[in-house]
Amino acid sequence: MTDQLNALGPAAARPLAAQITARERQPAGDAVDSQPAGAATGPPAPGGVTAVGRVLGTEDATPLMFSVALNQDAYLQLDDVVVTVRAVPGVGPVMTAGVVTQVRARHEGASFGSDVFLISEGVLPAHVQEIAEVTTTRVEPECYVPPRPGELARRATGIERAQALYFDDMDHKVPVGLGRDGSPMYVNLDFIDGTRGAHVSISGISGVATKTSFALFLLHSIFRSGVLGARAVNAKALIFSVKGEDLLFLDHANKRLDDDLRDKYARLGLPAEPFASAGFFAPPLPGDLSGRPHVAGRTGGVTAFWWTLAEFCSRELLPYVFADAEDDRNQYTMVVHQVAARLRRDAGPAGTDGAVVIDGDTVRTYDEMVDLIVDKLSDEATRPDWAGPVTGLGTINAFIRRLRSSLRALRTVIRGDLPDAPGREISTGNQQVTVVDLHNLPERAQRFVVGVVLAAETARKEAAGPGSLLFTMIDELNKYAPREGSSPIKDVLLDVAERGRSLGIILIGAQQTASEVERRIVANSSIKIVGRLDPAEAARPEYGFLAASQRARATLAKPGAMFVSQPEIPVPLAVEFPFPAWATRLSESVPPPPAAVSRPAGDVFSRLPRPTDKPDPADDDIPPF
Amino acid sequence: MTTQSAAGMPAPMRFTVDSWDPAYGSSLEFEDDLSESTARVIVGAEVPEDQWRPIPAAPATSGPSALLFVDGVRRIEARVWIDGSPPSPTDPGASAAMCASYAAGVLCCCAAGAHLLTTQTRRGLFTIAPHAADVVTSTGTYRASKTSPSPAVSLPMTLSAALQRRLGDLELATAVAARGGLNGHAGPPESDLLVIDGPLRGRQHLPRAIGFIKSHRTSYLPPPLHAMVAALADGERTPVFLMGTSWDRHAWYLRLPCPPGAPWSGIVRIECSADLPRADVITLASMSQATLCRYASTEYKDPRAPQNLYPIAGLERELRRRLGDPRLLYRALRSAAVA
Repeated sequence: MTDQLNALGPAAARPLAAQITARERQPAGDAVDSQPAGAATGPPAPGGVTAVGRVLGTEDATPLMFSVALNQDAYLQLDDVVVTVRAVPGVGPVMTAGVVTQVRARHEGASFGSDVFLISEGVLPAHVQEIAEVTTTRVEPECYVPPRPGELARRATGIERAQALYFDDMDHKVPVGLGRDGSPMYVNLDFIDGTRGAHVSISGISGVATKTSFALFLLHSIFRSGVLGARAVNAKALIFSVKGEDLLFLDHANKRLDDDLRDKYARLGLPAEPFASAGFFAPPLPGDLSGRPHVAGRTGGVTAFWWTLAEFCSRELLPYVFADAEDDRNQYTMVVHQVAARLRRDAGPAGTDGAVVIDGDTVRTYDEMVDLIVDKLSDEATRPDWAGPVTGLGTINAFIRRLRSSLRALRTVIRGDLPDAPGREISTGNQQVTVVDLHNLPERAQRFVVGVVLAAETARKEAAGPGSLLFTMIDELNKYAPREGSSPIKDVLLDVAERGRSLGIILIGAQQTASEVERRIVANSSIKIVGRLDPAEAARPEYGFLAASQRARATLAKPGAMFVSQPEIPVPLAVEFPFPAWATRLSESVPPPPAAVSRPAGDVFSRLPRPTDKPDPADDDIPPF
Repeated sequence: MTTQSAAGMPAPMRFTVDSWDPAYGSSLEFEDDLSESTARVIVGAEVPEDQWRPIPAAPATSGPSALLFVDGVRRIEARVWIDGSPPSPTDPGASAAMCASYAAGVLCCCAAGAHLLTTQTRRGLFTIAPHAADVVTSTGTYRASKTSPSPAVSLPMTLSAALQRRLGDLELATAVAARGGLNGHAGPPESDLLVIDGPLRGRQHLPRAIGFIKSHRTSYLPPPLHAMVAALADGERTPVFLMGTSWDRHAWYLRLPCPPGAPWSGIVRIECSADLPRADVITLASMSQATLCRYASTEYKDPRAPQNLYPIAGLERELRRRLGDPRLLYRALRSAAVA
């Protein structure tokens, strides 16, 4: 028995032992049983923790689920952590801990619905009884016996709570928010960083599920909680932003940061600070030949990114132009690869800005490139070389039609007419957090950018080895890796999902509906997180990890409330994460002092003089120009 | 409580449990009112006989601050046979007895709502065997309660009457304890009204107490007045009359609100002590009229509506629950008999 207690930790041992010895015996209904009625108030449990009730006996108590009848002066709410201890002969005290998954109250002694009026009028006696249903998370030691009816149940705090939720077993804990009791909840880093599992999948309705905010909070927590240790220096994050310019202010403090919020961050052991090292990339302004980034709110510290035509040809980026699911079903993918190979072979450099010469023709824009390819495919003489000798005309025309339709989407990011700038290539090398703003791009271009960047980063990580971690956050994952069909981008993502764990690439995917995302990606995610769900979506099997009551609750979860499922804990944890400490829009932004502005080394604006006389600190840090 | 053998050593009492369900043997329920057939009735206790009219409820009678409902329940758990002492193969001398559970409780209806004040549960072995001892089972101890047999009354009746006496004692003790423990939680002291389910006999000395009789077997009033009872409207009562059988008390009939039906539907008889001054009796009668109608039950919720008042039905339900599960108790008794 002492060994068992020691196994539970010294601090837990004392209350356990005292609990067993002081356990009340139910009065046997014998000769004289006189009691003041309806006075089910809890006896104070040993160790200063008041029991909230007793294990219920009118419903089956099982090792995996049991119910607790609550004392009149106590309550339990959903997600509260409850612990009960029973003595098992030959084993000693066995602790069963769990999470409240349902609470109900009813009138005992009433049989008709209308009796409630008689009861409230004081005519009919009745007893209000609250019952909490507890789903077991842990049995310690592992002796799977049901808690016995009548045993005292109490709220778990401190070490007992940590035991119940396996936090005591976690060597590397990442705080993911506060539980309903105001104490931190953790996720095991081993299941994020690839040690035992990797990848995070976040689902929820747009707007209210706060998926992106939670993903950023998770990154902040991973980077700043100290859990990575020395690895924090080389850990990087690559974020594809598709919703406005919300993420372009990550490195600015939030005006709404108050003491209350600071306290929440302090309770989580995190600094209430913005991301210190962040780089921002945006596509170039359309129609502008100086290579300015296409952003409105933030004008400083954002780098324009594009690919030169030379890169387009030499790296064979053409397949990423055809990244729709429908492209997969067509014959012309053969043409795509044929043309891509042709471009790689035939394109030669022209000038220093990335233009190319193909068969003597100089190509400076994507439009010219498309025209050239169309010409080559239309000309009887060159067609066999460019499309393959036996390709039918219909297939070629289908290819041409699809290629032409990509003009509008891609002409801004595939360029040979902009002065080459050293920092234009998207790279995670110079800062911890890299934000690629895609919201100004059409969906087809978004797919192109995500596919090309991910493929490049995967190749880079493959070459560099798994020494460092790269967290890749992709919103609207269902667009890039839909359940049906296949595309070059989906291949890259599947590769990341299945091999990324060993490469050190961690996918943080966010989507409205996990049911529309490729199964293998969802299945490979160790950490599953759910915000507010659409009721129809919540009923799908992808959310089977949620308990029935949590499914119902997910349909009315408030912004900031998430359910976090991790492999070690059988019940998803309900957490609330604090409001971002960084600005999420221009109006919230408190710009850092100029010296602290982080700039990527290759920032094209770093040559510009910095403004010294700022009219209003609440205004943007660099005046628009 | 154990018998002493000749050697001075306590000899355990031997008993067997009748395998018949106790419900089969209980056809002869103890009927309190059976003997009341020739009662003396003085009808002019409130108004002279010729002025008897239905009395409507007084419009603004200040009710009691708390209504205390007292009731008891009893259940025969098993019929047992106690072996003769000393047991011999030729003459077992077994004597029939019964094990019963009974409980009494007090329910308070006050501003705080209807709530149980106190309950007491007992288990007893009722027997005429002089050497009977307590029956100890895993679910409780049945205290031996010995009764002397009466040649005029059958044995089951004797035992049942003994049980009823015990229950009455318990109800009385519970009521007194509940009043003592009220601590003025419902208004000023001595502003409560005690409603005893059943006749007031043996409890007339309790202050501010009325007996509440739901069923009627005998017509006590002279025929013209008896007919008037059936003519009472909802909430009306008859004038108070004094009746005497083996004991004296004041009584009046009251019609509880109920849908029109049989002539005597909704009629209850209410009793109070014969020793009270006339004014106090009339106050009690008006008070009962003003307060009890509110607690009348509706027919779809209670098979004995409206006479079985909601609080009493609730109290009985609570008490029966406290008696325990009959199958469990029967099993415990049988294993105790084998042991």
